Amino acid sequence: MSPRRAAAALLLLALPVAGCAGTAAPAAEGTAASVSDAPATGAPTGTTPAPAPPEAAGQRIEVAVAGGRVTGDTGRVPVSLGEPVTVVVTSDVADEVHLHGYDRLAELVPGQPAELAFDATIPGVFELELHDAGTVLLTLQVG
Amino acid sequence: MSTLAHGVGSRTDLPIPIGFALYGAGAAILVSFAVLLLFWRTPRLGGPGSGRPLPAGLQRVLDGAPLRRGLQALALGVAVFVVAVALLGPEETSRNLAPWVLYVTFWVGLVPASLLLGPVWRVANPLRLLHRLLRPVAPTAPGAARLPALGLWPAAGSLLVFVWLELVFPGRAEPRTVAVFLLLHAVVHVALSLWFGEGWFARGDGFEAWSTLIARLSPWGRRDDGRLVLRNPLAGALATPSEPGLSALVVVLLGSTAFDGLSRTVWWQTGPGAADDTLSGTVGLLASIGVVAGLYALGTRLSGRLAGQDPGVQPGRYAATVIPIALGYTIAHYFSLLLLDGQKTWILVSNPFGADGVDLFGTYGNRVDLTAVGSDAIALVQVGAIIAGHVVGVTLAHERALLSARHARASDQLPLVVVMVLFTLGGLGLLFGF
Repeated sequence: MSPRRAAAALLLLALPVAGCAGTAAPAAEGTAASVSDAPATGAPTGTTPAPAPPEAAGQRIEVAVAGGRVTGDTGRVPVSLGEPVTVVVTSDVADEVHLHGYDRLAELVPGQPAELAFDATIPGVFELELHDAGTVLLTLQVG
Repeated sequence: MSTLAHGVGSRTDLPIPIGFALYGAGAAILVSFAVLLLFWRTPRLGGPGSGRPLPAGLQRVLDGAPLRRGLQALALGVAVFVVAVALLGPEETSRNLAPWVLYVTFWVGLVPASLLLGPVWRVANPLRLLHRLLRPVAPTAPGAARLPALGLWPAAGSLLVFVWLELVFPGRAEPRTVAVFLLLHAVVHVALSLWFGEGWFARGDGFEAWSTLIARLSPWGRRDDGRLVLRNPLAGALATPSEPGLSALVVVLLGSTAFDGLSRTVWWQTGPGAADDTLSGTVGLLASIGVVAGLYALGTRLSGRLAGQDPGVQPGRYAATVIPIALGYTIAHYFSLLLLDGQKTWILVSNPFGADGVDLFGTYGNRVDLTAVGSDAIALVQVGAIIAGHVVGVTLAHERALLSARHARASDQLPLVVVMVLFTLGGLGLLFGF
């Protein structure tokens, strides 16, 4: 696959993800950045085709926040490098959830599950954090 | 906004593979005994008078006022600019240059710069220029006579303040915090330098003292006759003048880096540090420094007692031998931060005030490439730095023991070597994450 076609494929893959993250006005700017930058960050995986949509396969991680308490897959969550990951966050208050390093954002509407879907292509340990509350929901250990 | 252990950053390193940790630990123990039993039995590293002099003309330029004042003026300009960006630039840490410059490019970058080039911050410290400009206000420096007795204790205190800010203070990543810190640091140290004289910076400015300490392991040195020389870094490290507070300075650095590693472990995050607040962080930081200080004092004093020497002078005598261990810890913990999240500085510098359409160096559209260095390479550098620091430290301690007693018995050096092995195993354990 030529680099250009690989980039285009990745862009297509990234679009639904970014669209999901960009439902709220404050996040619009960050969303635009993540769309245009998706080929750059995803470039090393350009050679491995990932035909399945991220939601269908890979690892599903779920956390819920209620009354300031975090339940579900908290703590250090191991993920294999390159695996498609879907993080589902449900909160009882409005906030914004941010996955560091991958720089993914999703708006949280009370009671409504929000999804972050991406391919775990960057190795390292990353925090998933509530922007307004400053709470760390979990840390993703990709390796 | 960021709750990561160090000042800023979007990621932390993966735990090193268990094999790396075990091989590293084995190598550290093996090398320690090889140094004790197989290495030279009489001192053989050069003393303070060793080294090959640089050409006199080059020394005149390097020691000359034009170069120093020029670099200080440049650094002052950059510092003023960073404070301006911190106060007037974008409010979010991820878009503001200042935190990245302070915590990554400057603080972490100071280590390789000093290791390769020598005591760069002593030459370029912009506060020295401010001091010169303000000296006419207080020409007498009434406290100058008391400075030698204080030694490096003020620098140890100054560094403790900075590592607390970097590792504990909840608002550390906010641009405004960076501005307040830089301004306070400048005001406090310039005021103290007017009281104690220009000699204050070498003993009281933590950044300058740290840069000078690392520069002890650079290939450059100043011979006891004042000539700049190229010499064996081990000889340079052993020639470190013994000052009060030298061991405190080294211990603060080693202990704080250990706390940085500790605070990244699952054990800390779910145990003692679960509250993730100022109290738990402060207690953890002070406890880490306390443990390192206690072990170090115990090892050196016990070694001194076995050798029949005054235990009281031992911690100061061996302080320089811990510099490479502290340096190894630092490289292991911050190397990836400089190369990965450090890219942020070079991206944001293209548009420091976050104005629309500004892209001075054409880098503003770039993204931090967190895959620029692979995780295997990072783990290798981490273990390599810890082990190299250990080997150099044990070697220096061996030579130091021979210098203080011509026929020092290997068994006398054992307590200090055991403590160094503990530091190294602890360092590897923190990288492995227990």
